[in-house]
Amino acid sequence: MTIAIATEAPTAAIRLRAVRDSGLIAGRNLRVLRKNPGRMLYPLVQPLILLVMQVSVFGNLALAGHASGTVGMSYREFLIPGIIIQNAALTAPTTGLALLRDAGSGLADRFRSLPVSRAAVLAGRLGSDAVVFTVQAMLLLLVAAPLGFRVHTGLPGMLAITGVTVVFGLSVAVLSAWLALLINDAETAERTLYFPAIAIAFISSAFVPVGYLAGWMQPIARVNPVTGAAAVIRSMATGGGLAVPLLELACWGVFLFLVPGFLAARRWQSQN
Amino acid sequence: MNDLTPAIEVSGVRKAFGQVTALDGVDLSVAPGSLTALLGPNGAGKTTLVRIIATLSRADEGRVRVLGFDVAAQPKQVRARIGLTGQFAGLDDGLSGRDNLILIGRLAGLRRRQAVERAGELAATFGLTDATNRLVRTYSGGMRRRLDLAASLMARPALLVLDEPTTGLDPASRQQLWTELGALRAAGTTMLLTTQYLEEADRFADFVYVLNHGTVVASGTAAQLKGTGSLDEAFLALTREGAI
Repeated sequence: MTIAIATEAPTAAIRLRAVRDSGLIAGRNLRVLRKNPGRMLYPLVQPLILLVMQVSVFGNLALAGHASGTVGMSYREFLIPGIIIQNAALTAPTTGLALLRDAGSGLADRFRSLPVSRAAVLAGRLGSDAVVFTVQAMLLLLVAAPLGFRVHTGLPGMLAITGVTVVFGLSVAVLSAWLALLINDAETAERTLYFPAIAIAFISSAFVPVGYLAGWMQPIARVNPVTGAAAVIRSMATGGGLAVPLLELACWGVFLFLVPGFLAARRWQSQN
Repeated sequence: MNDLTPAIEVSGVRKAFGQVTALDGVDLSVAPGSLTALLGPNGAGKTTLVRIIATLSRADEGRVRVLGFDVAAQPKQVRARIGLTGQFAGLDDGLSGRDNLILIGRLAGLRRRQAVERAGELAATFGLTDATNRLVRTYSGGMRRRLDLAASLMARPALLVLDEPTTGLDPASRQQLWTELGALRAAGTTMLLTTQYLEEADRFADFVYVLNHGTVVASGTAAQLKGTGSLDEAFLALTREGAI
């Protein structure tokens, strides 16, 4: 068997190779999940438990009509989009933790010693996490229906909600990747990365309208991307106005992908 | 690169981590087809040097050429030609041995069919055929090391860099690994090896460099370094505090 090794590849070939490598890494991550079903408990089963528990505990609060933005909407219809986004935020730290696990096991060095695009490891991780976020969102929507969450816009609405959840989850995942590489210690990262995820979920309109939050929380909650994402999902479910919340969320998405994404890629490449 | 060009050329390499100087002007050369051992106590700078040679780290000063390519300016060309076995087996515990080999082969540039064939060949060579479909986390330490070495060989590298490959292995597993490394050496693969087992360098290396406090304190064949004593004695004399 002869193996040809290209020494000088044109730019298009390099890009194609980076896409191929990212696909291989993403495939590897998904294969690990398939062969180790226990690793799916956190991203896929825990969100369902949280959904059922939170709706069962808080779902009967009579919030409808008490604050602007919830008029004509049951509290369950208000709450469930928040829970969907909360779960995406709580799943996102697994991206950073997985990168650190690879670094600690020597696998990251193995990848770095191969003629692989350095962006491929990060891109591949985000690719496989996109699949996890998609399955998670679809499962949550499936279970949310009998709990009182109706998507009045039908299948297109459900697909749009899934898409928004995936994009939001990936944005926070990029942030978690940067923070994890900055912390550079798996144990510390494991104990640290969930704090911001919990904080951004609670200091938002995920569970109650902004006006019901403590005074100091309200300015933060208004600009929090969780507030924007939950508002977009509520609008997508009811067929309400999308322009403003979608624009806000898009700005956040672009910012999180570009800034922490650039910093994470630089950190990954410079870990020498 | 012609036959006389060194497989590895290291000139004046310095590397510091903050206030700690890991390498302080290292020069060495590895002949093609040879097995060269890098000896040194813990903290001597062996792994730092190996990481620079394998493009995992950058030197602060100096130049390193591997198989005719500059590691700083042409890292991809270097990576396409080397295999690395580090101190920690670079394997995915959550995948089978076969899946690990195929993944690494494909990332090294092999087509899927080539990677599958090569994985089968190497599993047979390293006595892992029966275990190839098991998850790596069920492997013993010796099996992991052999799989790690097999993974390094997926793309038939011209240079194999081995950073303490036998550390932690029982004598039988070490012996088996050395049998396999001997076969590779016979086939003409250039190898750079770091080890703390002096008898390994004594028995297998064509040339030995002794590193201490980030500098090369001695070099030569094992016989030259030993003189009339043992390599242990020579090593201790060269690396004891105040010896340099």
